[in-house]
Order: sequence, then structure tokens, then C-alpha cells
Amino acid sequence: MADNADTPAETPENEKTIETPPDRESESLPSEPPSLSGVADSPSKTNKSNKIDILLKATGNAPIMKTKKWAVDKDKKIGWIIDFIKKYLKLEPSESLFLYVNQAFAPAPDQIVRNIYDCYGSDGKLVLHYCKSQAWG
Amino acid sequence: MANDREVLREIWDGRIPVCFQLDSSEVNGLQAPDPYYLMVPRLSYFPLVTDKIRRHFQRYIHPDKHDAEMWMDFNGQPLKWHYPIGVLFDLHIPEISLPWCITIHFDKFPETELLHCTSREAVESYFMSCIKEADVLKHRSQVVSNMQKKDHNQLWLGLQNDKFDQFWAVNRKLMEVGSDETFKYIPFRLYEGDEPFIQRLVKPVTEEGQRKTLLQFLQEIYAENASKVKVTTHGVEPPTDTPLQWMSEHLSYPDNFLHLCIAL
Repeated sequence: MADNADTPAETPENEKTIETPPDRESESLPSEPPSLSGVADSPSKTNKSNKIDILLKATGNAPIMKTKKWAVDKDKKIGWIIDFIKKYLKLEPSESLFLYVNQAFAPAPDQIVRNIYDCYGSDGKLVLHYCKSQAWG
Repeated sequence: MANDREVLREIWDGRIPVCFQLDSSEVNGLQAPDPYYLMVPRLSYFPLVTDKIRRHFQRYIHPDKHDAEMWMDFNGQPLKWHYPIGVLFDLHIPEISLPWCITIHFDKFPETELLHCTSREAVESYFMSCIKEADVLKHRSQVVSNMQKKDHNQLWLGLQNDKFDQFWAVNRKLMEVGSDETFKYIPFRLYEGDEPFIQRLVKPVTEEGQRKTLLQFLQEIYAENASKVKVTTHGVEPPTDTPLQWMSEHLSYPDNFLHLCIAL
């Protein structure tokens, strides 16, 4: 929050990631994206149609995730995804992580994935950018 | 552009009488504090109006809790600081008698139900993020990204200091419409009881190019149940033939979203 930078700190490297054609990107991934269900979820409760794929893209100084595409339950909250990324990147609990939609705004941690997907996703896919400092405001 | 200025002003001036009381189990000592009464703006957020409340109750609680984050509940339901006050009120209308009695806490923060709010900056960044999201929906983000930092500040300060003219001098740009006199999509959130709110992509016009009414909008979301739906916003029930575009321009909260409370 201390970082008040208004402009995204995009590096050419990140742009390349963004421009990577989707099929090339998935080549390196298993055909079924790994599921991002928490341990608390019972398998019977996770209905396949209730899941979407999220594509996580690093921006600015954030480390890149080896696996970018994850299947997520639409009822999950944004804060849950933020916690997941922080754990995956082994960030300290005190470190911040910001998640952006459309490279434009940061949804509240209690916003549910379904709402974001319904407005800004398509074809079962939602692109989210993450960053360790505030990027788009 | 928004032109029914009197409506904007009436909406802006909406106030709710609130009686704040400290949770009796948190009173440290023999004497319980008096309740604190305040008229709060519907369009504001609780952390922007409760500095006085904090100071009033702080000396009655255990010294260990002096710096704890303050939170509040109504009838045992924690109140989300990031919802506008008017939305929180409209959500609980059936249970409320005036003044609205709210309980203040400094202990046992409900981690799973509330987001932390450590400063006004947290409210500011949430508020600005909502404005940006609304502009993505209305203008593909073009208005807000062409604004200068001082315009963003003016929106925030206008809200924070309850200055209608200051706020609307900038907000009118966010309410500008294209050559077809409409926004691309209407930013809205639908609240129903304790459920997470609903947000969808909805255009202000029908496929035939007609302006959608509130009823047509409800049919899009609730299908055959639409006629049973009761909508409340700013404490009133808008007629169902109200054009959705007009509602967006005149009944949106300062975050540029329509916040509609639904009773089925």
C-alpha cells in the first residue's frame, strides 16, 4: 500500500508472456489444468461445471508461476486466490500481493470468482494479473 | 450525462440516524458509556464517519484493546465497512427501527466475515478500485484512465468531505454517454440477504435498441421470478418502468455502481 505508483511497471519480458498464444502456453502444461481445490473441499461437492480456468500472469517484480493455468471453483473468493498465489510463491505472510482484473482494477478479497468471471471472463477462462506492489492504482 | 440535478442532490443528502453503543461485555470498569448518536450520510462508508465514535468509547474499554481495530454489528450481524452505509441499512430494513442501533466492538474481530480496515487509505483504495471497475464496464476504462491523479483525489475528497459540487465536477465525466446516449454495460450489484452479491454483464438497451426498464433488467437476472422481486435502493423502491440507464446515471452510489437490495 505504501507504493503509490500509478503506472504499471511492465517489463518487455512480461509483455511477451501476455502475447504468448494460448495454445503454445498450454503445450507445456498437462491437458487437464491442476485443480485448485482446498483440502477442506470434499470431492463430491466440487461439480465440474462450477469450475473455470484462471490464468495467472505475473506483472512488475512478481515472480512467475511455473503453472499458470488453474481450475478454480466459481464460489471461491478472490482473497482465497491471493492466499494461494502467496503460498505457491512462498511469500512471507507480511508481503503484499495484488490481483488485477483487465489490468485495470483490484477486486475486493471477498468478491467471488463467479462475479468476476461473468463480467470479465469468457469461454471458461479468466485472466488475472498479480503483482507485489500496486500496479494499476 | 446526468441532468436531473435535484435527484442527484436528494440522493447525496440522504442521512440515517444511528445510535452507537459499546458491547456491554467489553466495558472495563463500573460505569458504562452513554450511547453516541450521529446522523450519517447514506453514501459514505462507516470508517469515514466513526473517528468520534472510537474516541468516545475507547476510554471505557480494557487498555489492552485501545489500539485494536474497531468493528460493528447490527443484531449480531457484523457490518462490512466496504459496503456503503445506505446499502447496509437497506439490507436490514425489515429489522430496523430508527434510530438504527449499532453495537461497537474492539474485541473478537470476526476474521471470516469482515475485511480488515486499518486506515482511511484502505477505504480510498477500495473506493477507487470500484470507480475503475465501473468505468471498465461503462466506457472500457477510457474515462478513468484519461483522468489525472488530481481528478481521482477530487472524487475521493468530495466523498470524504461530503462536498457535492466538488465530487460531481469530476463524476459528471464518469457519467458521460456515447453517441448512442448509453453506457456500454451497467455497473450494478444485487444484494439478497446474506448471499454474496451478484454482478453480471448487462447492457442498458435491448437487442432491438430500446432502453431497458428496471423490470426488463430483473427479467434478465431472475427470469420468471422477476415480477415477485422487490428492489430497494437509497431507501426507496424505484418504479419498475424506470429506465436502467437513467438509474445508473442518477441512483448510482459514488463508487459508480447501482447497489440494489433484493427481496424475493
